[in-house]
Amino acid sequence: MSVALIRVVIVAVALGAWEVFGRLGNPLLYVPPSAALPALGRLLTLQSYPELGEHLLLTLREIAVAYALAIAAGIGVGAALGLNRVVGRTYGPILAALYAVPAVVWYPSLMLFFGLDAASKIAFGFLLGFFPIALAVLAGIRQVNAQLVIVARAFGASGITVFRKVMLPAMLFTLVGGLRTGLALTVIGVIVGEVLGAKAGMGSLINHAYGLFRTADYVALVVVTLLLIVASDAVAGVVEQRARRWTE
Amino acid sequence: MSDLIVVDGVDKRYATSSGPVDALRGVSLGVGAGEFCTLIGPSGCGKSTLLGMLGGLVTPDAGRVLVDGRPVNGPDPRRAATVFQEAGLFPWRTTVENIEFGLELQGVARERRRIVATELLGPLGLRDFAGKYPRELSGGMRQRVAIGRALAIDTPIVLMDEPFGALDEQTRLLMGEWLLDIWRRTRKTVVFVTHSLQEALALSTRVIVMTARPGRIKSVVELPLPYPRAMESAELVALRAKLWSEIREESLRAMGEV
Repeated sequence: MSVALIRVVIVAVALGAWEVFGRLGNPLLYVPPSAALPALGRLLTLQSYPELGEHLLLTLREIAVAYALAIAAGIGVGAALGLNRVVGRTYGPILAALYAVPAVVWYPSLMLFFGLDAASKIAFGFLLGFFPIALAVLAGIRQVNAQLVIVARAFGASGITVFRKVMLPAMLFTLVGGLRTGLALTVIGVIVGEVLGAKAGMGSLINHAYGLFRTADYVALVVVTLLLIVASDAVAGVVEQRARRWTE
Repeated sequence: MSDLIVVDGVDKRYATSSGPVDALRGVSLGVGAGEFCTLIGPSGCGKSTLLGMLGGLVTPDAGRVLVDGRPVNGPDPRRAATVFQEAGLFPWRTTVENIEFGLELQGVARERRRIVATELLGPLGLRDFAGKYPRELSGGMRQRVAIGRALAIDTPIVLMDEPFGALDEQTRLLMGEWLLDIWRRTRKTVVFVTHSLQEALALSTRVIVMTARPGRIKSVVELPLPYPRAMESAELVALRAKLWSEIREESLRAMGEV
């Protein structure tokens, strides 16, 4: 049996089970696929939430801004810690310790600082995405073969040139891995931020549908959000594959 | 006589966890243009440190190093190119791209550097390996790419730090013959670090024997003999015995320290 066929069977069995158990439960809390699918149709044809496009766009924009900030700060901080041994030894462990803290504990204070609008979501997405990128850059720089740096210097390379021509290509694979994790966490951060408290965005719609027991709409919104996450990770995966082929 | 390279009373001390170590003390020497000058001595005698100073990668604590009458303050890829013991090739670059590295840093146009690198492939014996990555090459080939990278920037001086140290005996002998051929054609000034007596005798116009730590110059042996050299000739056998007795003495001292 081919892998594709097995996958189809698994999905069919799961949907079948969902259908059966969904029909058995309280219709207010349990939604079988036969009800969720029409809800998805109503959502995508803008019947249930006419302003879906604007919310989706806002969420995407928050993700883009948060991710761009996370990349800039992550590479900057990672490079500063990686290139200066004293700074790295001092702050590296603090960075790793902060990464281990469940980030959601910071969210209430972010809402206090940045309000209920986009800024607090961007801040939360940034906070989640920043750490894996900074730590990947730090690890990447540490694994660069010191001999290659000496060779480049012997051929007259300046500090910037060494970073560009030696360190960046040498750590590319690690860096891209960090960027991929960072993207996934940024997306999660923004959406979780919206669910926890927002006036607009996909997360706020989810919260709205869920709060009003519009469970079928809620499921449809979750499906759309999941597709968004899967699509962003798929793009990151392709980039990672390219980088792997280039590095090896 | 004005030498191309002048080393004048240099000292170098390294701080280690078990206290300071004198690597070089009061070393002076001159290397004339077109010479093949070999530094030989026991492990840890400061040969590589001295070579690093010539290349501008190591700063002396005292004394000075002049190339062409001007002091060396840091690496200068217009004056000297270095070949390291570990080939130090960039694994994400192909053979030609590795050879082009120095030219790329100097801002030479892409077409021009490709021409220079491609012309070198023949003498390097790498014509069929232009598009290969370092991991696809043998140890000897990798070292030839590293030598090609140094030759590509066409400096008057080539510094070689045990370039064949990691190769097996046969490859090493063949690489020596090959290097000799290149050197005789390009007439560059070569400063070569080795701990192989055989290599020193087959290649050099002059051998400088260094003492065990702290490194000083113990003796200088001129080798005004034609190439290729018959290692069994009475002259070379005698020179070999003389060199060996001096190096042996220093190696014993170096071992006694351990």
